[in-house]
Amino acid sequence: MNIVASNRINEKVLLIGNEAIARGAIEAGVEVISAYPGTPSSEIVETLAEIADDFEYYVEWSMNEKIAFEIAAGASLIGARSLVAMKNAGLNVAMDTFMTLPYTGIKGGMVIVVADDPGAHHSSNEQDTRFAAVYAEIPCLEPANQQEAKEMTKEAFEISEALELPVFLRSVTRLSHASGDVILGEIKKPLKKIGFNKHWEIPYRWNVYGPPGAVSKHKWLHLQMGKSKNIAEKSKFNTFTLPINTDMGIIASGLGSAYAAEAMFVLGLEEKLAFLKLGFVNPLPEGKLREFLKGIKKLIIIEEGDPVIERQVRSFAQENFPGINIFGKEIKQILNPYGELNVDYVAKGISKAIGLQMKEDQERINIKKEIQKKVSPRSSTLCAGCPHLGTYWAVKKALQDRKGVHIVNGDIGCYEQGGYGVFSHKINSTDDNSKGYPISSPYEILDTIYVMGSGIGMAMGQSQAGYQDGKVLAVAGDSTFFHATLPAVVNAVYTEANITYLVLDNSWTCMTGHQPNPTTGINTTGEKTKIIDISKIAETMGITCIKVVDPYTVEESVQAIQEAIDFTGPSLVILRGECALQVQRRKKFKMPKTFIDRDKCTGCKLCLKLGCPAITFDNENKIAGIDSLLCVDCGLCNQICSFGAITLRKGE
Amino acid sequence: MMFNMIIAGVGGQGSILASHIFADAAIRASVANGDNDIKVRVGETFGAAMRGGAVASHVKIGSDVFSPLVPEDKADVVLGLEPLEALRVGVNYIAPGGMVIMNIRKYESVDVKTGQAEYPSISDIASSLEKLNAHVITLDATEIAIKAGTAKAMNVVMLGALAACPKNPVPGRILEEVIKDRVPAKTIEVNLKAFELGFNKVNEDLRR
Repeated sequence: MNIVASNRINEKVLLIGNEAIARGAIEAGVEVISAYPGTPSSEIVETLAEIADDFEYYVEWSMNEKIAFEIAAGASLIGARSLVAMKNAGLNVAMDTFMTLPYTGIKGGMVIVVADDPGAHHSSNEQDTRFAAVYAEIPCLEPANQQEAKEMTKEAFEISEALELPVFLRSVTRLSHASGDVILGEIKKPLKKIGFNKHWEIPYRWNVYGPPGAVSKHKWLHLQMGKSKNIAEKSKFNTFTLPINTDMGIIASGLGSAYAAEAMFVLGLEEKLAFLKLGFVNPLPEGKLREFLKGIKKLIIIEEGDPVIERQVRSFAQENFPGINIFGKEIKQILNPYGELNVDYVAKGISKAIGLQMKEDQERINIKKEIQKKVSPRSSTLCAGCPHLGTYWAVKKALQDRKGVHIVNGDIGCYEQGGYGVFSHKINSTDDNSKGYPISSPYEILDTIYVMGSGIGMAMGQSQAGYQDGKVLAVAGDSTFFHATLPAVVNAVYTEANITYLVLDNSWTCMTGHQPNPTTGINTTGEKTKIIDISKIAETMGITCIKVVDPYTVEESVQAIQEAIDFTGPSLVILRGECALQVQRRKKFKMPKTFIDRDKCTGCKLCLKLGCPAITFDNENKIAGIDSLLCVDCGLCNQICSFGAITLRKGE
Repeated sequence: MMFNMIIAGVGGQGSILASHIFADAAIRASVANGDNDIKVRVGETFGAAMRGGAVASHVKIGSDVFSPLVPEDKADVVLGLEPLEALRVGVNYIAPGGMVIMNIRKYESVDVKTGQAEYPSISDIASSLEKLNAHVITLDATEIAIKAGTAKAMNVVMLGALAACPKNPVPGRILEEVIKDRVPAKTIEVNLKAFELGFNKVNEDLRR
């Protein structure tokens, strides 16, 4: 049984941050849950989907974050408690509705969980979404650990209903994906008080244009945020310690407060500095701030992400306590406004601000420097037998046969690794126009990568600008096709853009942990459902050149791609092969049959260029090999070897 | 009480499951002892096609634990599921006097395979870590796991190896209990065997 569903109240268990948030929602009696997968947020809804049978809530993977957001909002307007989860960049997709919903407010508690990614471990950027909570004028909570993540989620529903506003819960990678001890609380049954009231408390409540109009609703929102200050003031998530005889203090929020507390312990300062830990971060508890800042001359602000709190505290201090020396990420910089925090880094920052000398063992530092030279990089790769390996090999072959400097526009998903490069491959950059770089590995194919679905739009721009030096292509995955490229496909047809769009269809939303989508054949909770055919959609939208091919067949794939890029107008190639990991999970794969015929292998290393992690090379004997722990007999390397040296062992 | 460990490996090797088994066992042990102020944190990143990439799971146990990451030079143990990863993490994090338990089975990177980077020898890795005053224990955990029934149980072999070390604060029987709860039901027997073989290997080496 999944521990998140456990009714063993008061038991101390290990939960990852996202499981803790899921548990908090159950303890609050959540009724509707929606999300689009996005690392590091996915396990919230993944967990709730897995245990859905034990509860009465509705849960779904939506097609994108905007839809997910609207599902949670719609449910809330009729009184249901709802939760929507997304990653940092996911909020950008939901932004339209996100900015306007607060004008009408909500009815049933609505919690918006956004997992930021300082350090950009799994994201295109490091955006700090607390700005969005400030921008939209809604309360924002920021947990410091897993226990707090659970408590805050639960409390967020109460705050949301008290203020009639959605509440923003901001997590970060090192909280969502980190684990900690959590004491389980009581599970609440959903209230199920669903009903629609068009003029609930305010005329035309759910219609921003409803008389007297949007400005009056904006005014209402401001009044609510005034009430929110009172809640922030009393919140148990904002606490401080004030040692006597100190004029130095730290204000830290969320995970930043965990690093700060530990850094103070490491530096032996826990009883020497005043410490204000903030968990309710928008609006700030001004009364508590006032009390804390009295007598403080030197103030250090520690937060994960941008200087969101720092700016607000600085403007508050300027008005009320001018003369406080404020250290943080902006003016008196002790920490960078980019990258993520850790204990050592925060300890150095604190030391710098208060003028404390940290001891350093120079000899050890020198030894480390010598050793670090031996630590070679480990570039990440696609999995052994991944269908994208076949696709990228075919793309490379297809383009090599056509003269020119081709542009392949990528986006994000497992296939984005086609643009990661190999870390130890040093590139000399030049400003030469359309110089073109030869593709030396499948990890150097994608020329542009931004966000979900950005490839096809960029490709259209290049084509319409009159790019003539080569072919213009875009790639996206199956889930991305539905999430972010449907209007773009129509756009391409409508404007007759001369581009080729490759859909890498592996039947799952893989990079975020294999969630089902309309190409999978099952729904969020695992029941059978119909498959939506991408080629039929494209056909209906008006694309006339459509190819569907199996990326494990090298020659056919090359041919399909070439026919598409030679076509004038928008063309589409669907490279359809199920994720190899999912196939293995079902088939209980044992020993691979693929092997290298040592007599035939010439040591040419062509097979290594496929980029499959299961292909090895013995430098001493100049011969390729197959790692039997990784190989899944996908058959790609067999087709690539020019000497017939890679074959399948007979038998079984 | 304060114990810091980092499990270093390559995505797909099971470092996350190993860290969760260990941390879960640490919680159960603290509850059994009535140590209510003991906190447990595991810091790691996962979820985005990390197969083949370097993965490190930080595990912290103690009363003054707040954050999920081990500070530099403060790891009491580095459990290296892969030698180069043991070095990558060990060089930055191993505490003077700490212990590195290392599986000697190499997982070469694409950088090494394409000839753009070099893989240091196992003896070079071990002696480098010893220069930082680490005690290094090596074993072919992958081979031991295959003996137990599947190469996939290598992570559990390494947990067994850890259990045999004097620095380990979590009783072996509680680790076994959690293994039973956390691995797929059909693989319990293989995993317990893997744990035992890993334990025996290091236990014998340490006695020598």
